[in-house]
Amino acid sequence: MSLSYTVKESLSGFTRTKLSTAISIITIGISLVLLGVFAVISINTSRFIEMLRAKVELEAFLQEPISRDQINTLINRVKAVNGVDSLIYISKDEAAKIFKDEFGEDIKKVLDFNPLPPSFKIYIKPEFRTTTAVDGIYRELVALRGIDQIIYRKELLELIDRRTNTINNVTLGLGLLISLSAILLVSNTIRLAIYAKRKLIRTMELVGATWTFIRLPFLIEGMVQGVVGGMIAAGVLYVVLEYAARLVASDFSAYIHMPSVFYAVVVATGLVLGLLGAIISIVRFMRVAT
Amino acid sequence: MIQFSNVTAAFDGHNVLEDVSVQINPGEFVFVVGQTGSGKSTLLRLMYMDVMPEKGAVIVGKYNSQTIQTNEKPYLRRTLGIVFQDFRLMEDRSVYENVAFTLHVTGTPRKEIKKSVLRALADVGLSHQRNKMALELSGGEQQRVVIARALVNDPLFLLADEPTGNLDPTTSWDILQLLKAINTRGTAIIMATHNHELVKRMNARVIEIRDGKLIEVKDF
Repeated sequence: MSLSYTVKESLSGFTRTKLSTAISIITIGISLVLLGVFAVISINTSRFIEMLRAKVELEAFLQEPISRDQINTLINRVKAVNGVDSLIYISKDEAAKIFKDEFGEDIKKVLDFNPLPPSFKIYIKPEFRTTTAVDGIYRELVALRGIDQIIYRKELLELIDRRTNTINNVTLGLGLLISLSAILLVSNTIRLAIYAKRKLIRTMELVGATWTFIRLPFLIEGMVQGVVGGMIAAGVLYVVLEYAARLVASDFSAYIHMPSVFYAVVVATGLVLGLLGAIISIVRFMRVAT
Repeated sequence: MIQFSNVTAAFDGHNVLEDVSVQINPGEFVFVVGQTGSGKSTLLRLMYMDVMPEKGAVIVGKYNSQTIQTNEKPYLRRTLGIVFQDFRLMEDRSVYENVAFTLHVTGTPRKEIKKSVLRALADVGLSHQRNKMALELSGGEQQRVVIARALVNDPLFLLADEPTGNLDPTTSWDILQLLKAINTRGTAIIMATHNHELVKRMNARVIEIRDGKLIEVKDF
């Protein structure tokens, strides 16, 4: 098979069916801009959610009286629990100091003794920061001898889990919808190209062209349309996001600014959409057209 | 060699050809005659396996309709040259490009393509018209381009389906003479036609299709 001839045939759509090719490229471009904006929102939502999840920590209060050796043993046991990342030990004196910092009064002077128990601040590994996983860790910890009570912001975690699911479902649904529209529009353009070339395709079949030789140009045409649409979308997104990043405070601009790999993914997505559109057309319409 | 063994071909449940057996050897010139709709085109389409038999077997060279795979059909067709009544020329390409198309399709190297196309155009007397667009030519000239396209890959058999159907009597005779010349160089010609005048003027084998049956006509 002559590769140069196949490539030449593939690109002929740009001159022979200018309008439908342009519409297809613009459609892919618009779809990818929308997908890109969604991706930026989705990426930043994930970052924000992760930031909230990182704030979830367990506070374990220890039974009294408790010796230093018992505390050290307990630290090792807590660290051994699956999902625990690290912990900080807060002694009775440190607890009193924190109280003073927060309320401005020395609790030892008010009550003549320190009622605050020693405690651990327990941090969770990122992959365990869900309601179910933290609940499991809570149950293991609370069963340890020496631990009196554990508190954590269960409601916050439950709220995050619920909202994350909703956000993920909406993002996925809209992303799929936009991708599907783009694929169908590319598919339609390729279908028109197949229809325009139906006599040529038939002649090719009869003079001995192979299955690949006939179909490859349409696949390449779809991919090229996708890549061009992707490049346009990447350009538009770059200009819009960089402009938006300049308008907001520098703390937020880091969230809007996207790495170059993001733009590469936009172009690659265009290629995949174009290819899928072409495959659908070839499978559905090639036999009918010939 | 092309061989039909007890071939039945049907469209929409109606048998077009019934229990047909025939053999066509390399180098022969064969007319296939019969009324419109009698099955002449079907007979040719069976040869390049665009239509597959309901019963029996069609054998073309090393290819057998009972065993051929879909991906082998292009290679069968490369051993044949096909001339269509409606020309099937590509309107947006030159005469040269139309003829070269067959070789591009079959992956022939560019250098070889140029040599073969110029030779085929010389054979049909159109060397001087090679850069014209196909539609700028007369009907007879367009049919010559189609014949050049069918000839360019040196087929053993040239199948011509009503090649003179759209042409005036003089041009038709010229085309027939051209096919005859090609035949004398060794390529077998199988020509479907309902032009009895042309058939009568040639001394060639005649097969008639009547009521789905094939009849060898001795004195046409």
